[in-house]
Amino acid sequence: MVVNSLPFLWFFIAVLVIYYLCQQRREIQNGFLLVCSYWFYTQIDWRMAGLLAILTIIFWLLGYAVEKSIALKKERAASLYTNISVTIGIGALFYFKYLNFFAESFVAATSLFGIHLSWAAVQILVPVGLSFFSFKLMSYVLDIYHGKIVHERNLFDFANFIAFFPTILSGPIDRPKPFLKQLKQSRLFKSDSLMEGFRRVLWGMFMKMCIADRLDIYISAILGNYSHHSAISIVFAALLYPLQMYADFGGYSEMAIGIGQMLGFKVAENFRRPFLSINIADYWRRWHMSLTSWLTDYVFMPCNIRFREWGVNGTILAIMINMIFVGLWHGANWTFFVFGLYHGLLFIPLMLSGQFFKKSKVKTNQNGWPTSRFVMQMIGTYLLVTIGQFIFRANSMSEVWGMVGQVFSNWQGNIFLDFATMANAGICIAALIYVDIQEEWFPNYKLRMPRWSEPWRWELTVALEILAIVLFGVFDSNQFIYFQF
Amino acid sequence: MLKLLKCILITACLFFVFDRAIGLALKTLYKTSNATDEYKISYSCETTRDSILMMGSSRCLHHYVPSIFEKELGMTCYNAGDWGIKNIYFHYGLLCNILERYTPRVIVLEIHPSEWLALPFSGTERAGSLAPYCGMSKGCDEMLKLTGKYWAYRLSVVYRYTGGLPSLMAGKLGTMDRNLKGWKPLEGVMDTVGVKAEEYPFPLDEQRIALLQRFIDTCKERHIQLVVCVSPMYVCTEEDAFRFPRELAQKCQIPFLDHYRDSSFINRSELFYDFGHMNRNGAEKYSRMIAKELKAVIH
Repeated sequence: MVVNSLPFLWFFIAVLVIYYLCQQRREIQNGFLLVCSYWFYTQIDWRMAGLLAILTIIFWLLGYAVEKSIALKKERAASLYTNISVTIGIGALFYFKYLNFFAESFVAATSLFGIHLSWAAVQILVPVGLSFFSFKLMSYVLDIYHGKIVHERNLFDFANFIAFFPTILSGPIDRPKPFLKQLKQSRLFKSDSLMEGFRRVLWGMFMKMCIADRLDIYISAILGNYSHHSAISIVFAALLYPLQMYADFGGYSEMAIGIGQMLGFKVAENFRRPFLSINIADYWRRWHMSLTSWLTDYVFMPCNIRFREWGVNGTILAIMINMIFVGLWHGANWTFFVFGLYHGLLFIPLMLSGQFFKKSKVKTNQNGWPTSRFVMQMIGTYLLVTIGQFIFRANSMSEVWGMVGQVFSNWQGNIFLDFATMANAGICIAALIYVDIQEEWFPNYKLRMPRWSEPWRWELTVALEILAIVLFGVFDSNQFIYFQF
Repeated sequence: MLKLLKCILITACLFFVFDRAIGLALKTLYKTSNATDEYKISYSCETTRDSILMMGSSRCLHHYVPSIFEKELGMTCYNAGDWGIKNIYFHYGLLCNILERYTPRVIVLEIHPSEWLALPFSGTERAGSLAPYCGMSKGCDEMLKLTGKYWAYRLSVVYRYTGGLPSLMAGKLGTMDRNLKGWKPLEGVMDTVGVKAEEYPFPLDEQRIALLQRFIDTCKERHIQLVVCVSPMYVCTEEDAFRFPRELAQKCQIPFLDHYRDSSFINRSELFYDFGHMNRNGAEKYSRMIAKELKAVIH
């Protein structure tokens, strides 16, 4: 059951009605939400719901143990429990996602030295959303250890935070403090909140179904069969791929945030117009923000502090480690490692020129538009991101080299263009660019509508948005790219 | 709560009005389009009153030249074949729509070996091309129900044209020449490098077989003479790919004109555009030949 499907719509309408029927009793409302979240998870992967529950209980107990140890001034015990929680979190990720990858890589590495080991790949079922909820679990104990939050006494509230159904599959990765605080507040029915949340859900559906799924028809046809296509087609498809990723994952995030808002929650933002970034640091401050901020707090900052005596070199090392984590977080494949490494390397010029710590501020002309220098920087950043995404999309490094080889050897062929697909996607991409530019540089601008229609602005906009999805959407594709991570 | 309900109600009303208005505009564009799919389906459903109808997929679209049949048989003819791996779900829905308006005298059904097999592609979804004519006939609606999207087609007129706006806007620039009465000639000669016969390692699909039987029965009820044809391929498999439709045709006493392995076409690349489709020369040669055969079997 995916969020842009009919079964989910019926499920969510039922949830919403019952949820607000018990709004006077917060405990019942939270309990109902927890039941719904687990029911939703079992619909995706019933076999792993037990693991989710067990990990939730273990981390809740560890959180309690850390807090208790701190209260009793047993610093070493607190540190030990924190380390255990990180070990379990990383261990679960390692076992379910990386065991085969590391074992096979180790065997390959030893064979280089003449030592011939063997590894029979273990068939492991990866729990859906593991990368997302394991980070939530770890941040909970780490935040208690660092004194940012107190242990949540109510196990069910904690379980609600971990299993919150709009975000469990593909994030955003919420932090414990703001989310648990919201669980303690009553969430009463508010029409405005519901209507605003619904608009975000619709916008997410538009991004996913009208842009991501439409582009996927073209991109998969080219990059999935690259040996049959010309260099120019491959380059064109590669240039479109970051847009597809943005529309797919950004669309999912919009839906998750909108659904959260309809349930009375403020879920962490995940994307802030990433392709208006003027350099790679700016890009990572706008792309998958909940993951990058998590890794900044729990990987980059501790590394940076540890390496600080090495000055700039220490920061570069911390960035490299951080970016490799970003890459490998996506899965067990050398392409993700190279993707992370590549992005890490892109940070070095920024570090050496001192741009890294500067806040990226775009200069605009008198009409509010960015100057040509910044436009060029945005295009440059997009091209750099495209190279990274090109590696990211491939199934293996040999596929990357295959595609690169095809690009450099087959310049004679014509570009393959599917008119209907490109035209549909083009119209919708234009709408996305319009909205992003308006939000970035003209946030106060409001599309002028006829005076008679002003009182019906929401209704008109929603009706037209639904119509746009019906007219331009792809209704046969249901999978989100980030579900696999 | 009241505010929300009011908003939902107004939104639903606005959606309904916009949907009908835009749907009407799309329908107009659809009818006047010269793009292959749109023109073939709209002309077949709404305009043609010709005595002989050719039905089938791309091999029908490219292989049957109506002017040759008209000359040979002295009857008007229209090629209603449409590309896009159309199958019996589509053909049956289209037939029912056509029969709502008039009854042709003869129907030539061009078939392909894979049409009766449970393929991983080209299933019930092919009937979705008839979505703009949802509600035109019971048979068409029945086929649309099989796609699983029938309720959505009923709910939204715009959904019947989903993804089709750019093609409809550019419809006037489409490549169909209306003077050719549905025939779309292919120009050029095939490249024979690496060409090999298609294999069909799939089981028979009972649902499709039942539908072919219904197609035959419907024609009989309306006193339409049905002729089943198989046009030549550049290369063919050794297996007897047409055993089932041939046996069914024999059982129902329907002429079955099989040129699948016709030695005057097979391996003659100058008559083919690709391994499964003849070019203009091939189509004209085949049409002259089959028109004579039809003359002998039509009564």
